[in-house]
Amino acid sequence: MIINFFYTIVREFFSVRVSILLSVIILFIIALILTVAAPLILGWVDRKFAARMQSRYGPMYVGKFGLLQNVADFIKLLGKDVLSNAYVDGLAFNIAPLLSSAFAVAMISIIPLGSASLEIINLPYNLLFIYIFMALSPLLVMLGGWGENNKFALLGAFRGTAQMITYELSVLVVFMSIAFVSGSFDISAIVLSQSMVWNAVYFPVLFLVFIIGSLAVIERAPFDMPESSQELQAGWRIEYSGLRYGLLIVGDYVKLLVISMLAVYLFLGGWNGPLLPPLAWFWIKTAIVILVLMSFRWSLNRPRIDQLLDIGWKWLLPLGVLNLVAVMVLWA
Amino acid sequence: MGEIELNIGPVHPATHGVLRLKARVEKDTVLGGDVEIGYLHRAMEKIAEQRLFNSFFPNVDKLEYVSALNWEILYASVLEKALGIDIPPRAKYIRVILAEIQRIMSHLIFIGAFGQDLGNITVFTWALRERELLMDIVEKISGGRLAPMYLRVGGTEYDLPEGFDSMILPVLDRLEEKVNKDYKAVTYENSLFKMRTKGVGVLTRDTVKKYGITGPNMRASGIERDLRRSEPYFVYDSLDFDIPVEDAGDSYARFMVRIREIQESIKILRQAVRALPKGNYINKQPWMFKIPPTEAFVRQECPRGEGAMFLVTDGGMKAYRLKIRSPSFYTVQAMPEIIKGARVADLFTIIASLDPVMGEVDR
Repeated sequence: MIINFFYTIVREFFSVRVSILLSVIILFIIALILTVAAPLILGWVDRKFAARMQSRYGPMYVGKFGLLQNVADFIKLLGKDVLSNAYVDGLAFNIAPLLSSAFAVAMISIIPLGSASLEIINLPYNLLFIYIFMALSPLLVMLGGWGENNKFALLGAFRGTAQMITYELSVLVVFMSIAFVSGSFDISAIVLSQSMVWNAVYFPVLFLVFIIGSLAVIERAPFDMPESSQELQAGWRIEYSGLRYGLLIVGDYVKLLVISMLAVYLFLGGWNGPLLPPLAWFWIKTAIVILVLMSFRWSLNRPRIDQLLDIGWKWLLPLGVLNLVAVMVLWA
Repeated sequence: MGEIELNIGPVHPATHGVLRLKARVEKDTVLGGDVEIGYLHRAMEKIAEQRLFNSFFPNVDKLEYVSALNWEILYASVLEKALGIDIPPRAKYIRVILAEIQRIMSHLIFIGAFGQDLGNITVFTWALRERELLMDIVEKISGGRLAPMYLRVGGTEYDLPEGFDSMILPVLDRLEEKVNKDYKAVTYENSLFKMRTKGVGVLTRDTVKKYGITGPNMRASGIERDLRRSEPYFVYDSLDFDIPVEDAGDSYARFMVRIREIQESIKILRQAVRALPKGNYINKQPWMFKIPPTEAFVRQECPRGEGAMFLVTDGGMKAYRLKIRSPSFYTVQAMPEIIKGARVADLFTIIASLDPVMGEVDR
């Protein structure tokens, strides 16, 4: 537990109440730093990896290997004028990016960061809580898309909402199956239950459903229909710029990170592994999953929204439900 | 959500230049639309009447900036026909080689832009990577890249550089390998790609005939017609190649026709390089010349269809009238008919699959 660690340090200098407050503030700052670090590091990996696939160099000049390119871009976004046109609905327009990044901080705080004790907030049902924060994202898309008062944004928002609602169901079914098998919605318990055999070996279909469904939920290419930069020019984000856009990007990359971590926790045995320390195992697996998800983005084109919804309702959800029923029958 | 009017372009990343489309959209379906052109109008035909015959070559380059050499060859041919001169055999072969290099380059741009409109940027960078190899060859031949300005009345400005065949043959091998393997994997054998293109934007034979659409778009609708075969010019009748034809008329067929045309062009290039005769490369004409009062009409197979030029002269050093028939212009006219009933997302891929170049449409 990180909070206990900080509490014992702070407690030596201050009274009980002050040290609780102080350690909470410290934890919040850590969560904030992690949230901002995710897009900076993952963004660099994404750009460099994409560049390698496309025989380009990618970022090169800011820092060694262009490592600081995303920091520079982020600072640029912070320094930009806070613009919005006259027609936007101020409240909806402004609250969407704020909530998006707030959810990102919340997800980072809830999920264990590579070992059972390394979580910022300790909740018994952390898988469910993460799902709740992911399930709220259609609301954000609708809020933002409506608030922008733009036809392209509205089209993108409708697409986004339909897509996320469809695929969240599949993801929920996957979570339920896994929770049923391991008997808990607690990620540590789920990891513990896979100490012998990974869940991916038992449930390859569920793993597939989870990967496809979660990619669609986080609007990651090739399922980025709500944004589809070539058709809708950015979809529901068309009016966002500067700091607001930066906040949305933060939310994006944190979601990608959380999805990759969940894939490792739920299906690939979490931090279990021989020889190497658990933390190393976990992050190696997560890195591989992230790279695989990124390679989908740069090698596939996006399907049409109605085709995507077809896949979701007619294939993924029935497959997931069948698997759930099978799991219940076999394990009960 | 009732019917809304969606204004696409003239500045939109997916409209390939400055095409403007006013689409009427209900939910996710396109009810209809109007195409507005003219945002890139430069009065090319009028400029041709103001300039010396040779001074119009740079403008021809900018007519269709994706396949400049084809149009240069066309313009040079129409001048030669009006003058009544013949060109040496080496010049004919050089022109065939240039036309096919440019055709491949143009189709690679199409592949890249189409892939990008489907949401796969990797296809775009790959296509441009292969195009760059050919671009280097064009640069070595002419000194220019996008606008080479290499053709002259009676032949070409310079001879081909020394060791030309050792320069181009490895590039062709590499290109063939990439088109047959890499592009296959990410585009035409990819199931997601097929999902987005098969049965989308169907162009029927009747529509093709009604609007006078030519080139790959026509051949994708099952009409076998290619000026290189039906009215052979230069040395096309001595070369062995196929005319790719598809029957479906959808985006996938249009893509496949172009992929196969690249393969055929590679075949033509190999033969032409092998058969390239030695000798004079230009039937030299003075820089300024007069053409007696006459009319000349030449049409050739350009990458986007049949390009034609009709030249009327009055005995002076400038054209009296130069009419340019640009194939994309006719393709764009058919767009409202094709997009009717399509999904909004398909709207953009249909535009891309028709491959219009606005510089040529607006002239």
